[in-house]
Amino acid sequence: MNSSADPIVAQDLVRYFGDVKAVDGINITVKTGEIFGFLGPNGAGKSTAVRMLTTLLRPTSGTATVAGFDVAKHPDEVRRRIGVALQDAAIDPLMTGTELLRLQAVLYGIPQSQMKNRASELLERVGLTAAADRRVGTYSGGMRRRLDLALALIHQPTVLFLDEPTTGLDPMSRMSLWEEVRRLNSEGTTVMLTTQYLEEADQLADRIAIIDAGKIVREGKPQDLKAGVGFPTLLITVPSDQTERAKAVLATFGEIRPTAEGSLGVGLRGGANVVTDVVRQLDEASVRVQHLEVNEPSLDDVFAEATGHRLEGAKA
Amino acid sequence: MTAETTVRSRQLSVRQTVAMAKRSTLEIARQPALIAPSMFFPIFFAVLSASSFSKTTSIPGFPKVESFMQFTLASTVVQGVLFGSVTGAAALATDIENGFFDRLLLSPTTRTGILLGRLAGGALFGLFQSAFFLAVLVPFDAPISAGIPGALVMILSGGIVSLAISAIMSSVAIRTGSAEAVQGTFPLLFVLLFFSSAFFPRETMSGAYKRVADLNPISYLVEGLRALVLEGISFSAVARSLLVPTAICIAAILFALTELRRKLAAR
Repeated sequence: MNSSADPIVAQDLVRYFGDVKAVDGINITVKTGEIFGFLGPNGAGKSTAVRMLTTLLRPTSGTATVAGFDVAKHPDEVRRRIGVALQDAAIDPLMTGTELLRLQAVLYGIPQSQMKNRASELLERVGLTAAADRRVGTYSGGMRRRLDLALALIHQPTVLFLDEPTTGLDPMSRMSLWEEVRRLNSEGTTVMLTTQYLEEADQLADRIAIIDAGKIVREGKPQDLKAGVGFPTLLITVPSDQTERAKAVLATFGEIRPTAEGSLGVGLRGGANVVTDVVRQLDEASVRVQHLEVNEPSLDDVFAEATGHRLEGAKA
Repeated sequence: MTAETTVRSRQLSVRQTVAMAKRSTLEIARQPALIAPSMFFPIFFAVLSASSFSKTTSIPGFPKVESFMQFTLASTVVQGVLFGSVTGAAALATDIENGFFDRLLLSPTTRTGILLGRLAGGALFGLFQSAFFLAVLVPFDAPISAGIPGALVMILSGGIVSLAISAIMSSVAIRTGSAEAVQGTFPLLFVLLFFSSAFFPRETMSGAYKRVADLNPISYLVEGLRALVLEGISFSAVARSLLVPTAICIAAILFALTELRRKLAAR
């Protein structure tokens, strides 16, 4: 057992798939009781990193300890202490919620005498008591995710990994899952959460790491990272034949920022106060502004500043 | 590790394997549309061949039988469990495809237990199938000379054959991780069955067909059971009915476990 008190520590973690470097030397330290967000687009390496930390994949190089145990040397010790809800909520559709929870309880060595109570307790906690004896194939996406969470909690893990837990969920189900994650965290569970949703990372995480192309490009508290970007972003849309003129005007007010296709963005050095000046100068340059908005720094700006591109599908 | 801890850990492993076997059995029972072909196709084939080939029983070299149905009883059991075993292995491949297998791997249970639990479910289904085929066909002029003890040996043998074939098919499932690839072996099983003594005795065969049937392990599986049906209970018949499938079964399980270890080591 590692003497380090931090429940998740990864050092220079690398994973290749053939010639492709999916995870490129990441370093992470998650403190006890934190919700740590791992934010990045699809294919950035989030899930691969989580799969290494949860013993499903061997690191090509580097080391990681989870709950004090080396993931490569003592995988069973790690497994006993972690709860994992993987990306696709892989749940047997032919079994009922109760049957799955009982199977999970046996797999984690929970005594027969405690199994029934533990299963009922968890079903109640995630609001599935009424559906407990229905086959999972009849559950909605949100219900499956909640059951997945209950399964991950059967052995009262100290560290919980949630891999994109709200992907594909409707807003109500997403909020309800967020509430549950907050509740678990307030009870002392350390949570590592991967997400491609900015709002999710912003709302839930105490600290986040932004990952792109297998590398961690920024790490810190969401508010600190946003403050680091500094200036608000002015986004405008103009007719395509006026784009170059508009860019030239915007460049005099600050650094041009990456935006979604069809719009232009600038980090306003003078803050939101200079918006009227920008509009005036665009008008003088005969640029017709079709749409304008000023955004305070967001995690998307942090991501864009760090990687040179916006987070795909970033909006929650 | 103290002796007490070792015993406790073994007890837990057994409990985990039993729980996974239960899941596997429930899964089979809850998919009647998937298992129906392996239950009814062999019966249909037995009835069809009994009515079409009844006169072949007088061909020189054909064993003394009361009816063609009696002759084909053993091959119906083997045929049914062969086809049924594909279902269990395809379910393992589906577990791998949809990520449920990863859920099992994330738990501190033994990797051997995960596979054995799945195979045990297949074996229970094989026992059920064998009993079903005997219950349906014996009343139709297909008595078992070895009586009830012989029927019980046949059922047990059906379970072992099922376990063996499930293990072989599970190796395919583990290697490919594809339910389609496992289902794709179905025609191969049919060809193996066809080029064996399942439908006609080897004594009536000649040429390349006979040579293939002589080498085909399915011939020996069927003939062990057939000896119980036609000749009565004997040490030789019981040994052939149980030892041949057990030998195949042990080799197949060891191979499947090696495949699983190789697959996990390559992760």
